[in-house]
Order: sequence, then C-alpha cells, then structure tokens
Amino acid sequence: MNDSDYLARPPMIEIEGLHKHFGTHHVLKGIDLAVTVGEVVCIIGPSGSGKSTLLRCINHLEIAERGRIRIDGQLAYRDEVGGVFRPHSNRAISAVRAQVGMVFQHFNLFPHLTVLGNLIEAPVHVLGKPKEMARQRGIELLAQVGLGDKANAYPEELSGGQQQRVAIARALAMDPKAMLFDEVTSALDPELVAEVLTVMRDLAAQGMTMLVVTHEMNFARQVGSRVIFMDHGLIVEEDTPDRIFGAPREPRTRDFLRTVLER
Amino acid sequence: MELFNLEVAVANFGPLLAGLLMTVELTLVVIVLSLVFALLVALGGMSRFAPLRWLVKSYVEVMRGTPLLLQLIYVYYVLPEIGIRLDSFTAGVIALTLNYSAYLSEVYRAGIQAIARGQHDAAAALGMTGVLAMRRIILPQAVRIVLPTLGNYFIGLFKDTALCSVVSIQEVVFTAQILAARNFQYFTLYTIVGIMYFAVSFPAARFVGYLERVTKSGYRRKRS
Repeated sequence: MNDSDYLARPPMIEIEGLHKHFGTHHVLKGIDLAVTVGEVVCIIGPSGSGKSTLLRCINHLEIAERGRIRIDGQLAYRDEVGGVFRPHSNRAISAVRAQVGMVFQHFNLFPHLTVLGNLIEAPVHVLGKPKEMARQRGIELLAQVGLGDKANAYPEELSGGQQQRVAIARALAMDPKAMLFDEVTSALDPELVAEVLTVMRDLAAQGMTMLVVTHEMNFARQVGSRVIFMDHGLIVEEDTPDRIFGAPREPRTRDFLRTVLER
Repeated sequence: MELFNLEVAVANFGPLLAGLLMTVELTLVVIVLSLVFALLVALGGMSRFAPLRWLVKSYVEVMRGTPLLLQLIYVYYVLPEIGIRLDSFTAGVIALTLNYSAYLSEVYRAGIQAIARGQHDAAAALGMTGVLAMRRIILPQAVRIVLPTLGNYFIGLFKDTALCSVVSIQEVVFTAQILAARNFQYFTLYTIVGIMYFAVSFPAARFVGYLERVTKSGYRRKRS
C-alpha cells in the first residue's frame, strides 16, 4: 500500500495535544497523531521518550492532563466543556477500552485461568458473548497464532513467546478495532522474538489497524506503513519507513538510528 | 496410674466431646462469617471514599489494640446495659468475628496488593470495570495467595474459642471447668481437653502445610 491510500480513509485513533506529567517530569509534551484504518504505525525512540506512556494514555491506563483522544471518531474517556474536563462514567471508559486491544511487554496473562480461559474471559463477561461461541472463536484464534494444542495449558507452562502469542489472541478475541503493542518483544529471549513478530506480520497483512511501540527496527522497516520517532516527549519525525531509515531528516533521528543499528 | 483416672476419663468423655463439638461449631460459624466480613472490610479499607476508609481503619485499630478477652466480656456483659441483650453463643460469635475480621482484612489486603499492576492493566485494557476485574481476576489470585495464612489464623481461632468460657458458652474448656468443680479431677479432665485440641489442630496444621505447598507450586494442568 502507498501513502495516498490512507488519506482517503477515516482515522481510527486520533490524538490531539496530549500532555502528561509524572510528578514534575513532563513525559508527553503535546502529541498529535492520527492512525488511519488499516495502518501499521511503528513508534521508535530511546527509553524514556514517552512512547509507552503515549500508548497507555490511548487506553486510559494513564490519564493525560491535557489533550483529546478519539477512537473511531468518538471522543474517548472525557468531555471537555469550556476547558473543564468531565470524565466519562467508568462503564463508558471500559466500553471504549473494550474496542482497542492492548498487548504488554510482560504479557500479563491471567495465571489462574487456562489459555482458553484467558481468551474467553472478557468476551463472555464484558461483551456478554455466549460461552460456547467464545470458546469456538478462542480455539480459532489459538490456531491462528499457532497454539491450537495449548488451549488447556496454564500460562506458566508456556514459553515467553507462546505466552505473548496467547496475549495477542486474547486481545483479538474482543474483535478490536485497533491493536496497541507496547514493546511486546522486549522481555523475550532473542530466539523467541521471531514467532511473535510473525503473528504481528500476519495481523498487519489482514488489515488490522496497529500502533506498535518497538525496538525491532527490522519490523518497523518491513511492516510499518509509517514510522514515528519520539524523543523527550515529542514526535521528532514521522515518515515512511524507507525515508526514516534511509534518509532521516532530523539529526536526533539519525543519532538514534546510528546507535541502535550499530548494535 | 494415680494422676490420670481412667474411670473418670470414661465417665466424662461424653460431655467433653459435646464441648469439643461446640468448640468446633463456634469455630466454623466464625470462619464463615469472618471470611465474608473481612473481605468487605478489606475492600472498604481500599475504597476511594475517604470516610469509609477512616471508619474501617479505626475499627481495625481498635480491634487489634484491645484484648479479645475484653471484647468478649464487652459484648456479653456491657452491651446489655445499653439494651442489647445477646445469648452467650451469639455474643461469642460476634466478638470473635469482629476480632478476627480485623486481622483477616489485613491478610486479604496484603493478598490483593500482592497482585501485580499488570493484572489490573490487562483486565482494564480488555474493558473490564474495576468491580469485574476484582471479582474475576484479582480476588481469585489473591485468595489463593493468602489461603495458608487464613488457615493458620483459623487454627488460632479454634484455640481462641476457649476464651468464650468467660461468657459461659458450653465449649470444651467451660465444660471441663464445670466437671472439675464437681469431681476435682483436674489432671484427667484438662489432659483430655488438651489432647482433644491437639487432635484437631495438628491435622489442621498439616492440612495448611499442604495448602502452602500447593499454592506455591503455581497454576498447572492436572496430570491424570
């Protein structure tokens, strides 16, 4: 796909002027970003640049002090009337979160549930899906991530790569409109990274809208429809992977890429 | 044997066993009530509503800062002065439940707080409300963590019910006191009582040890 395809489509995630502090530390200093339907946006940048915080704000796991987030055109989490925020009800906030899948660095699978239990938990108890339907869909998704034989295993019995694939399947079980990936391969042993990236590649190929915070430069280059370089709480540069990796305009982007690609 | 009189033992075994059953009954009732009440106390203590938190904290501190014996006496002998008259069993159950719930609520709280932040994040990201996440994700894991600790508290409770003799519940110690007042066979009677307590609490302690091993071994598929 080329750039112009996205211009014609509506944005799935829209962020405007997002600010976030942790104490006195200004983590996000005004982020504007739109992710179009079917787009795979990869966010790269040094640790502490605010990439993960941005992702967590999109799912309201962190609450931004200023700015607007729209999911599928709807203002999410709060209204702003005359500069005053009115938080939405907990139920409304949860309903928006249910539309956006999130995968974490440390998997965060529910250890007391089987693999299939992890997959059907939210569809059954949040969406009210009949259990049998949720199970069937769960089994399909497990097959899709290559874990068809692990339905009855407990997360602790799986390798890190398998656990992360279950976590992806768990998020997909909610039929999300978009998926957020928060450094999902950073906690994995090097030999397990590929199996997770393969699942993500397949997902991108199926047209899933994805926002991916990653240190995997090859993934960003090959799968990303757009790459964003963040540093010190700001988007420094955004462009196609070819241009970001081939001819970055900003010196900070060049320095960062030189450091990570030399490793 | 001079101290231990077998005849007395046989003659009094029936009433003592009845006393032991009362002890066990009292223990079980308080276990059930305090398991539920302590959970409410723990959740209240973590509430976003500050006055509820203060109320809960004051209750926990008062219960932990005064003797159980005094609490029993208070419920049974002092409350009637303000018009609350309770039979001895009810008074014992209330005092023990209030006392143990204060301690158990702290156990629950520790268990709930031991669950990693990531579990809350994952539940929230899947669209679960706080209540649903607590019920389906956090509590099942927390309860499993604290199960052995709860077990140890309940063995303590089983022995603490002896204090209910002061509010004249016919549990095993009070029964022995009544019998001893008649026949002065202290050694025989109280030895039997001691054996009875041990006969219950020792297996219970072994069971808690088993629970500890199971809960530490993590979540795994049962091999058939």
